Amino acid sequence: MKVVGLIIALLAGSLLVYATADFPPLGDPNSPASVHVSPRYIEKTMEETDVPNIVTSVLADYRGYDTMFETTVIFCAGVACFLLLRVYRREEPQERLYRHVLTGVTIHVKAGKLPPSPDFERIDSAWTPHDLIIKTICRLLIPFIQLFALYVIAHGHHSPGGGFQGGVMLGASVIVLAMSQDLRTAVRRLREKADALMCATGVFIYAGTGALCLLLGSNFLDYSALAPVLHVDPIMARSHGIFMVEVGVGVAVMGVMIWIYNNVSSMGKYDEGL
Amino acid sequence: MSAHYPTLLVTVPLLSAFVISAAGWVNKRWCFPIAVAALGVSAYSCVGLLLKVADGGVVHYRLGGWPPPWGIAYYVDQLNALVLCVVSLAALINLIAAKKSIEREFPEKTAPFYTLYVLFVTGMLGITVTGDAFNLYVLLEIGSLTGYGLIAMGDKARAPLSTLNYLYMGTIGACFYLLGVGYLYIVTGSLNMADIAHLLPPLYHSKAVLTAFIICLVGVWVKMAFFPLHGWLPNAYTFAPSAASSLIAPLMTKVMIYVMIRLILTVFTPQFAFGTLLVSKPIVWLAVAAIVMGALLALKERDVKRMLTYIIIAEVGYMVGGAWLGNRAGMTGAILHIANDALMTLCVFLAVGCIVYKTKGARFEDIQGLFRKMPFTMAGFVVGALSIIGVPPTCGFFSKWYLISGAIQAGQYGFMVALLFSSLVSVVLFFRIFEIAYYEPFQDHHGETHTHHASLMDEAPLGMVVPLLIVAAGLVVMGLYTGGIVSHVIRFVIPKGLV
Repeated sequence: MKVVGLIIALLAGSLLVYATADFPPLGDPNSPASVHVSPRYIEKTMEETDVPNIVTSVLADYRGYDTMFETTVIFCAGVACFLLLRVYRREEPQERLYRHVLTGVTIHVKAGKLPPSPDFERIDSAWTPHDLIIKTICRLLIPFIQLFALYVIAHGHHSPGGGFQGGVMLGASVIVLAMSQDLRTAVRRLREKADALMCATGVFIYAGTGALCLLLGSNFLDYSALAPVLHVDPIMARSHGIFMVEVGVGVAVMGVMIWIYNNVSSMGKYDEGL
Repeated sequence: MSAHYPTLLVTVPLLSAFVISAAGWVNKRWCFPIAVAALGVSAYSCVGLLLKVADGGVVHYRLGGWPPPWGIAYYVDQLNALVLCVVSLAALINLIAAKKSIEREFPEKTAPFYTLYVLFVTGMLGITVTGDAFNLYVLLEIGSLTGYGLIAMGDKARAPLSTLNYLYMGTIGACFYLLGVGYLYIVTGSLNMADIAHLLPPLYHSKAVLTAFIICLVGVWVKMAFFPLHGWLPNAYTFAPSAASSLIAPLMTKVMIYVMIRLILTVFTPQFAFGTLLVSKPIVWLAVAAIVMGALLALKERDVKRMLTYIIIAEVGYMVGGAWLGNRAGMTGAILHIANDALMTLCVFLAVGCIVYKTKGARFEDIQGLFRKMPFTMAGFVVGALSIIGVPPTCGFFSKWYLISGAIQAGQYGFMVALLFSSLVSVVLFFRIFEIAYYEPFQDHHGETHTHHASLMDEAPLGMVVPLLIVAAGLVVMGLYTGGIVSHVIRFVIPKGLV
């Protein structure tokens, strides 16, 4: 069976390579991909959408409809993880581990009992070291990560970046918190419900912007319809519309990253993470 | 508002998915009505669109207001308007029928289940309505991803593994399609289907275009489970929860067949697919193999749901073969069969859903004496079965008629024999079930045999049986209106070059 698979893979691969013989040469300025649709994107982006970054304008405006569904794909992944993994009826483990904060002494506490004094903190059953350095550095870094993420989202019009990248950074900042402290600390900061609502809200902002254009009498996602609401000219409205959907993407991506991490790392129990 | 039907039918379910997902955290009881309302609006737009298209021809819609090929455009002709109606109505009816079983199987997770359900329908509708080859891929991702999630919720022990298998196969299929689109983009510089079709003719003999066509085709074949790429389907559909299998089984494979026909008719021309490429005959023979193998594999199964999954594989063979006969009758039969097969698969899967709801299984032991216990469910099942066999006046007869006459016209007698053979096998398959369900006494779970007839009726809830009977009636109505559908809708889809 393995041999058959190998032969099929080789045949398919060689077919694909064989077909490249008819491709235009690499970097050819006269190749169909460079002369058919691209010139308009390159030459007209600024005057049609008022966005200096061509990638952003193609992504969020010319082909913004695709990007809306790409964001939805991410949302689907989050919901599917939640649907498959989340368990509501969980069995309490026989015993839990608690650590004395000052001395680092670890004790076992039977199920249903409390630790002897409030100086003890609960730790995961997989041994967690008393890692002051990691915790402190993460606490110092997280605000800067988040600040930079906001910059990446907001500056997507001018430089590489945008909602997806910024959202992933925002999500990573909370995941770093969960890894350096523990899952419970991170979930206390951002509750499951708030996170789930954030996912839905983010994608809703994107699709809702599109629907708003529809309600204002234009085609779906035709941001120029937002001009009267935003009190700017239609070209500038496109630029603002792109910013609105980028914010939506950022919120959705952040929410989904955290949602997936929480569900996967705790196997849906929201009790002990990685 | 009617100018915006093409976008409403996709975006209303899409927006509702986010609302459902949020509503689940506030009050779970809101989810179902929101989902029904959204799919209702979507179905209304689809029907409106079909009437509009049948009346005044092709409808174009520019998303974001950008003209194609720079922006994404929707392109609705009679072909996709018909498929849109079938998809949206089937999804709506199934949603109403599935409420009870969803609430019983996942009491705490109804909200994410409905969310994925609605998104799956969004994906299927989006694939059908779009006129952009890449947009189709994005929607395909949504349809597949949500489908995996829904299927994996089934049988605790076996569904996850079969879903993983489906995920691998499905991803490979989707990647093949994407690769094909990439090749087309490199040689034409466009992603818009109509624009690609316009740019392709001088390139028909380029190796890249040839390869692009082949890998796109193989990609959709994987997704539609065309023999011999069908390995993922039986397990995935058998172990899925009833609500998911009766949604995905009728829609996914049919929509992918629509994509194949769209590729043949719109992106590449029939002259290229049937003339330049000399692959029609081998593909029809593959379809013959699909039909024969599907029928034979179905014979050995002792579980109704699993048996039906093999029938789906045979039915896929019908449609692929019909489309590749390369003549008018064959193509008409294939397109008509998309609609008919979606409805009859929905009908039998809804009936199986009712049976599983009551008996906890659909093995042949479980269905003993069911005609007495669940007469209405079985009546619906019988109509669906007769349609799959192809008994007039149910709709299955008419599409099979077109397919057979197409086979004779094309001189593909092997295909004709395979169609007749599979009809005969279907007779055996279904009459065996009728026999067990009618004559063998019903056994309860203690193994006690009941011979008293009275007070044994134990029908599935009304909310499940009524949609089933509506679909069953629909099968007959579709059959009676076949002439109208062919002369008002399908006739315009097939290009003049195809005789």
